Amino acid sequence: MHGKALATLALAFTLTGAAQAQDAESVLRDAASAPRHLSYAGQVESVEYGSANSHASIYRVEHRSPNLTRRWYLAPQALYGDSIITRATTSYDLDVRHHRIIVSNDDTLEDEVALDDNFALLSSNYRIVPAPAEEVAGRKTLGFMLINRHTGQMCMRVWIDKETHLVLERQAYASDGAVISAMRYDQISYTSNLPAQFFNVPKEQGFATLRGMDHELPSNDIDAVARAAGFNAVGPKYLPEGFQPISGDVSEIKGVRSMHLLYSDGIRTLSLFENARGATADLSRFTVHQTTVESHDARYVEDGPTLLMTWERSGLHFALVGDLSRQEMTRIAESVTP
Amino acid sequence: MMTHLTHEKLIDYLHDALSPEEDALIYAHIDACSECRSAYLAETQISELLRREAAADERELPSIVKARIWETVRNSAPTPLERVRALFRPAYALAAAALVAALVLIPVTLHNGVASPSIDAAYYFADHAAMNGTIPFADRGSAASAQFETIPASDQTAVVAVPVVYTADAR
Repeated sequence: MHGKALATLALAFTLTGAAQAQDAESVLRDAASAPRHLSYAGQVESVEYGSANSHASIYRVEHRSPNLTRRWYLAPQALYGDSIITRATTSYDLDVRHHRIIVSNDDTLEDEVALDDNFALLSSNYRIVPAPAEEVAGRKTLGFMLINRHTGQMCMRVWIDKETHLVLERQAYASDGAVISAMRYDQISYTSNLPAQFFNVPKEQGFATLRGMDHELPSNDIDAVARAAGFNAVGPKYLPEGFQPISGDVSEIKGVRSMHLLYSDGIRTLSLFENARGATADLSRFTVHQTTVESHDARYVEDGPTLLMTWERSGLHFALVGDLSRQEMTRIAESVTP
Repeated sequence: MMTHLTHEKLIDYLHDALSPEEDALIYAHIDACSECRSAYLAETQISELLRREAAADERELPSIVKARIWETVRNSAPTPLERVRALFRPAYALAAAALVAALVLIPVTLHNGVASPSIDAAYYFADHAAMNGTIPFADRGSAASAQFETIPASDQTAVVAVPVVYTADAR
């Protein structure tokens, strides 16, 4: 009888645990797409920490659901007064210092299917563990830790508005536990009164309009991307556990056809670029470090927490970009063999 | 829509003798046009056949002929002029090496457009960040992306429209 009661209790705990996990996942899923149905105005602090340099910014953000956003940069001083207006997939970057508006298009911004797919990837690689709640920007939040199922390491922590499910604070961590990026709302108010005209691009006197980078919808048919490259493209034989190819495209930059494959585990990402036209990476605006990939000379640069490693092998030029440790990036690079 | 490729163009494409822009256009055309693709495949087969034939024609001299040649070489005493020439052999070798290097390197350089182009590292960082747009909780408002100088569209175009085939149930 006693045993039966214990078993019932254990079952109840298991069911409660499963329900909590289910709840946590559904809250997080909501959070990933919250800006699609919420309108708000607030102020955000964002920092990216690197061993060579860090980037910090403070910006005002106004967002009208589903896809109108305006960011005004208040800091650093170099960006003060600049703003970025995003209307669906088109962004207008108002650069007041250089009197120009740069217009670029990014089809991935509206790719809800891929976002869903990548959320599924995240939940297959990360355990979502409730964390102590905190107040952020005067709002009650639900805290969650995202723990890598393969390594047991916490890769991200998020604080989600208890009522609206908007992410109000987020911290990402390196494999050694160091914070590599942090974002936090200092102030937020939800409103449905943001007029659409507010997101019109101002007609600034004397501003030149330039065309920036365009990104078409990438493909998740990696074999088709590799075929389209026009050369014998190769990929890494080693990837950290949980990583898989998620999308790719082939573009031409300065007449050089270049293939880009993106790998991810749902939170961390890694890009591999390759070309067969002898086009090296111009690293002149960064501090360059020498290293080797197997016995081949390689170079790497860092920008905030993101590392770019470049090398040549068997007539192909490679560039690997990601937020992983240099040791991990080198191991991946060494596995890119024809 | 491009008209069918001429035989000359196909040969140039096969020998990597086109500019990168033209090469990309021809590549895309062959991919889309079955008639030109057949012509291209036929041409590659002919090239391969010729290469194999040429390799097969490189036959060994009969051993008896080789032996006679060496005997003649050993028995022929060098003239005084040949002895002087022998002193300059290293210089000949250097000149010959320079000539070979020039012959090899000039077409390679020309093929790559005088000097190999380089791609700004900022492009790689920006493209990596852009493709992160579909990763849940990726930050798109950081100063890092705002501080990058923009890569002009004239420098970057998507040349291959790969069909998007999402398999939402795969994961």
